[in-house]
Amino acid sequence: MRQQKLGYLTLPLLIAAAFTTQARADGETIAVFTKNQTNPFFQTVRVGADNMAKVLNAKTLQYIPTKPDSIPEQLSQIEDVVVKKPSAIVFTPVDYKAMVPGVEKINEAKIPVVNITDRSAGGKFVSFIGADDYSLGLETARHLLKTLGGKGNIVIIEGVKGSLTNVDRVRGFNDALKENAGAKLLASQPGNYQRLQALQVMENLMQSNAQIDGVLAANDAMAVGAIEALDGANRKAQVIGINGTKEAIDAIKSGKLLASGDYNGFAQGCLGTMMAIRALRDQPVINEIVLKPTVITKDNYQPFDVPLEQRSCPTFEEASKLGGK
Amino acid sequence: MTDITKEAIAPPRSFLSQDATQVFYRLLAALLICAVLAVLSDSFLSLGNILNVLRQASLTFFIASGLTLVVLTAGLDLSVGANVALSACIAGTVIHKTGSPALGILAGLACGGIVGLLNGVMVTALRIPSFIATYGMLWVLNGLTYWYMAGETLHGFPAGFRQIGSGYLFGLPIPVYLLLVFLGIGTLFAQRTIWGQEIYAIGANPVAARLSGIPVARRLLLVYAVSGTMAGLASIIFLSRLNSAEADIGESLTLPAIAAVLIGGTSLFGGVGTVFGTFIGALILTLVLNGMNLLSVSANWQPLVTGIIVILAVWLDMKTRRRTQ
Repeated sequence: MRQQKLGYLTLPLLIAAAFTTQARADGETIAVFTKNQTNPFFQTVRVGADNMAKVLNAKTLQYIPTKPDSIPEQLSQIEDVVVKKPSAIVFTPVDYKAMVPGVEKINEAKIPVVNITDRSAGGKFVSFIGADDYSLGLETARHLLKTLGGKGNIVIIEGVKGSLTNVDRVRGFNDALKENAGAKLLASQPGNYQRLQALQVMENLMQSNAQIDGVLAANDAMAVGAIEALDGANRKAQVIGINGTKEAIDAIKSGKLLASGDYNGFAQGCLGTMMAIRALRDQPVINEIVLKPTVITKDNYQPFDVPLEQRSCPTFEEASKLGGK
Repeated sequence: MTDITKEAIAPPRSFLSQDATQVFYRLLAALLICAVLAVLSDSFLSLGNILNVLRQASLTFFIASGLTLVVLTAGLDLSVGANVALSACIAGTVIHKTGSPALGILAGLACGGIVGLLNGVMVTALRIPSFIATYGMLWVLNGLTYWYMAGETLHGFPAGFRQIGSGYLFGLPIPVYLLLVFLGIGTLFAQRTIWGQEIYAIGANPVAARLSGIPVARRLLLVYAVSGTMAGLASIIFLSRLNSAEADIGESLTLPAIAAVLIGGTSLFGGVGTVFGTFIGALILTLVLNGMNLLSVSANWQPLVTGIIVILAVWLDMKTRRRTQ
């Protein structure tokens, strides 16, 4: 009870303080929500967010479900954050539909929020920063087919069936295949984004297909699993992955992996945090940036071969040029 | 009193007993699946594919073999997959830091064994039901592994070390030799040693076992330690076969291992089952996935078919068991 009274007394003071800090325009706390600690992609998002926050003299608070992609856990983290009241939120929903009530809670609390990576099905956002899984799938597959001269026997190793990323990436793969009449799709089998499962699927597919020329894997871990299977059987095929992980860059360098599509996690973290802080400081923001997919190959891997901590965020002027489909 | 002792320590368990009947049914089921696949796919019966299936089944079998002993005592070890993940990450780090595969293998086995021992201590000294204790351990291990790896992947191991998981000896994959060795040791241990018989007795009736002088706590400790150590062994095979380790491999390994034990005819209520049955269980799971890959069954149907096979196997088990009793 006493604490509550104290709360009422300090509230006007806090509001006054908030106005003065806004005038000084730094020291804000940005809560960054990502989906899990297991996917290296979100690590790049977090490093990007931290990097931008440091540049702009703000702080980040990371919120990550302990159980990967847990809907109830992210919901309760939202409840916590609404009580804690950070200056702004950078938000990746673990599920683009199921988290809408959570976003509405944030909106009710009047905390500005930027949506990154997966587009939320509802709620009000300052801006959306993301990449496009479909064009990532399309461009990486186009690159593979161009390398193969537009023909050959192709297999697809899919991610988790029904997940948004997988649906879009595989749709991109298939559309690229349709553009090349000489390419034949032998099989489209699930590896659930797991290395071991992709390795085993590839081993099995090699038993029933004497000639496989290209492998389209929906993420890098599965691409590397497929390469291990090919190596084990002394067979060769061109393999592409998606995500641009460090492991994939190493494999591209050594010539084992043809290419990987960069999902630009680092830039998403940077730009999401930038827009959140700019909104707080009453500076203009860009409402939507859909980053162009980059196909990382042996010709352009160098900028990606730098430790995350040493990369630098794009500026606002650069940001406006990064989008556009 | 002497009757109880005799029955508890040495239940009738010749190779033609009830367990043998159960194993026979399972072998029949596996052969039936093989026959169907041989008709549907030309490549199924090739030597390459059979070795392929055996090698793929071996990883599940290593995890499931130790787990079988736990289930025989009417316990459960839900931490095996998470244990494989942590052990693989630790073994991988040791190999990277010291350059010595031998030290890495020791570290992996030790990590697995220590985790198993801790499970055993929770079950025996603290009297926590194994389901809860090992479920808690699963979270502890996940937390440690995620924290330790921080979204990174370990990859690139010495060629000599890679032989364990991917190499051949006289035309057979090395994991298949290991599979035969541990199948032999496990079967002999369970069926032909006093300790093995005591484990069956504990599962059949823990009170009778205690009254007849079996050191129940020490045997349970042993069983959980063995389960953990086998998870450690699986982590080494995993690491050397895939050439990499990441934090999120555990989740995809636990349930297939439990399924292999159950499909193999080991009762969740303890006291009934064989290590050989578990091998057949691992084989059936692998055959189903292998077959679906060979036949290019749509990715949508694969989890469904696997689920139905698991349910069917356990239902058939209950049915045949009632009849033989």
